[in-house]
Order: sequence, then structure tokens, then C-alpha cells
Amino acid sequence: MKKTLSINLSGMVFNIDDDAYRELQVYLSQIESHFADAEESKEILADIEARIAELFKERINDAKQVIVIKDVEEVIEILGRPEEIGESGDSSGESKKERFGPSGYRRIYRDPDNRVLGGVCSGMGAYFRIDPIIVRIIFIIGTLIGIGTGLIIYLILWIAIPEAKTTAQKLEMKGEPVNISNIGKSVKEEFNRVRKNMNI
Amino acid sequence: MNVENSKAQMRKGVLEYCILSILSGKSRYASDIIKKLKEAKVIVVEGTLYPLLTRQKNAGLLSYRWEESTQGPPRKYYEITDKGKEFLKDLDTSWDELVNAVQLIKVEK
Repeated sequence: MKKTLSINLSGMVFNIDDDAYRELQVYLSQIESHFADAEESKEILADIEARIAELFKERINDAKQVIVIKDVEEVIEILGRPEEIGESGDSSGESKKERFGPSGYRRIYRDPDNRVLGGVCSGMGAYFRIDPIIVRIIFIIGTLIGIGTGLIIYLILWIAIPEAKTTAQKLEMKGEPVNISNIGKSVKEEFNRVRKNMNI
Repeated sequence: MNVENSKAQMRKGVLEYCILSILSGKSRYASDIIKKLKEAKVIVVEGTLYPLLTRQKNAGLLSYRWEESTQGPPRKYYEITDKGKEFLKDLDTSWDELVNAVQLIKVEK
């Protein structure tokens, strides 16, 4: 007996195996990253998701109600891996932004996975490579001594610093190179962490 | 330099032209456009199509409407616009010129 997860693609519900889900997650993250620089990336991703839903629907029937890893692999082959898709659709001639540059390209983000309040301190900790606790202590001291200054600065930062939502952003936050294999690794790690937290 | 890459480059170059050509014959769903391109062996993976369709739509060369479907989520039904037809005519001329030019080079080499 296996456990299944329930997912929603373009408004359609599918039951999917655990390992198939992971494979799909990795693929979608890679695709998202591949098109991240394109202006119309949201539309493209929505189209791709809808197509995946269509292809999944063809693979479901009364006798087989769950999407398994073989289905996901077939769908990936049909749609193509990011390397096979090639140019992400930017206007020709423009060189891609130095986004997938050598490691060390860092940006400050708020870290939603390690937050106490807004993830400001963990985000700063990731950027400066220090323990978030130290940053938290600094803010607390700043608040106590400066009559709330620390809190005000924290709130400003909370508003100003964007949250690292996509896997590519989380990699940038930690200063790791954003390439396809790293994204795959990152998604798998996240998945395992969520599983551990939920004791699945 | 490998020959597969060069071939892929050539195919990629004509892809936009092919999409407009296909739609000038008949309005179609994205999956039908893909089928035609696969039959002609111009495209290998479907993912290449979506960014192009979206770009052409945003440039006003194509338009789409949503069609409900029993086999899944609603689908985009694409048709070529007047602007797209003009664009296509231009590409047709350009294509003929290109073919002639290459022929000339091959003959006179």
C-alpha cells in the first residue's frame, strides 16, 4: 500500500505518488528557473502547467487513478527538459542577464523557511553568513536601548526586503550558483525537510 | 561545433515562421500546432512552443480565446491576426529570397 498526495494543476486535481510528486516538483522548479528572465514567464508557466494537466488526464482512468513516476517521466520527455527547450524566449540578440553567473551572486531576501516573525533576521544571516540568532539579538538590544529603534528598523526591513519565494531566489539568498542541478538538489532538500517536520 | 546543434539552430530559426504559416491555414489549439510541427520534424519537444506562442501573441501577431474542454483544463484556441498575416507575407518573401540565395551559393560554389 502506498500513500498518495493530492495536487492541483491548472485547477484540476490529481492523485500522485510520493516519488512522482518529487520528480514533478524538481522539473517545475527547473522550468520556472529557465523562464525566469522572460517577460511573459507567468503565462508560459501557466501554459506548461495546463499542458501537463492535459497529459496527466490522458493517463488516468478507473483502473489507474494515480499518477506514477513513469507518467511524470513521460510527460517530461514530451515537454522537454530545460536544456532541450533551449532559448527561453527572450528577444533574440539580447544576452541573458548575469543571473546564472558564477557562484557568489548574492541578494538579500527574507527567508520564509526559517522565520520567527518575518524572516528578516534569517535572511540577513544567510546573506552575511552569520547565525540568525546573532542578528535577532542585535535587533532586540537595539529595540531595548534605542526605545524601539530596533523594532522600527526591523519593520522597515520587513517591508523593503522581498521574501525568497522561488527555489532560485533561495539559492541566490545563500549565494549558491543558480543552475539546474542546484535547483534540483534544493527542491529535494526542501521536500525532505518538510517530510521530517511532519514525520511522514 | 556539432552537426546536431547546427541543425537545431536552423530549425529554431524557422519555427516562428512555421507557427504563423500553420495558423494562416486554420485556427488551432496549441497541441494541434505542436502535432503539425512534429509531423514536419521541425520541433522535438513541446516546451519550445509555449514561449514563442506567448511572444507572438504579445506582439499582436496571434490572438486566442479560451475553449472549455471535457478532457482537462480550458484550452487556448489560437488564430492569426491581420497584423500576423502581414508579418507572414513579409516572412514569405524573405524565405523565398533566402532559399534562392542559398541555391545560388550551392550552384556557384
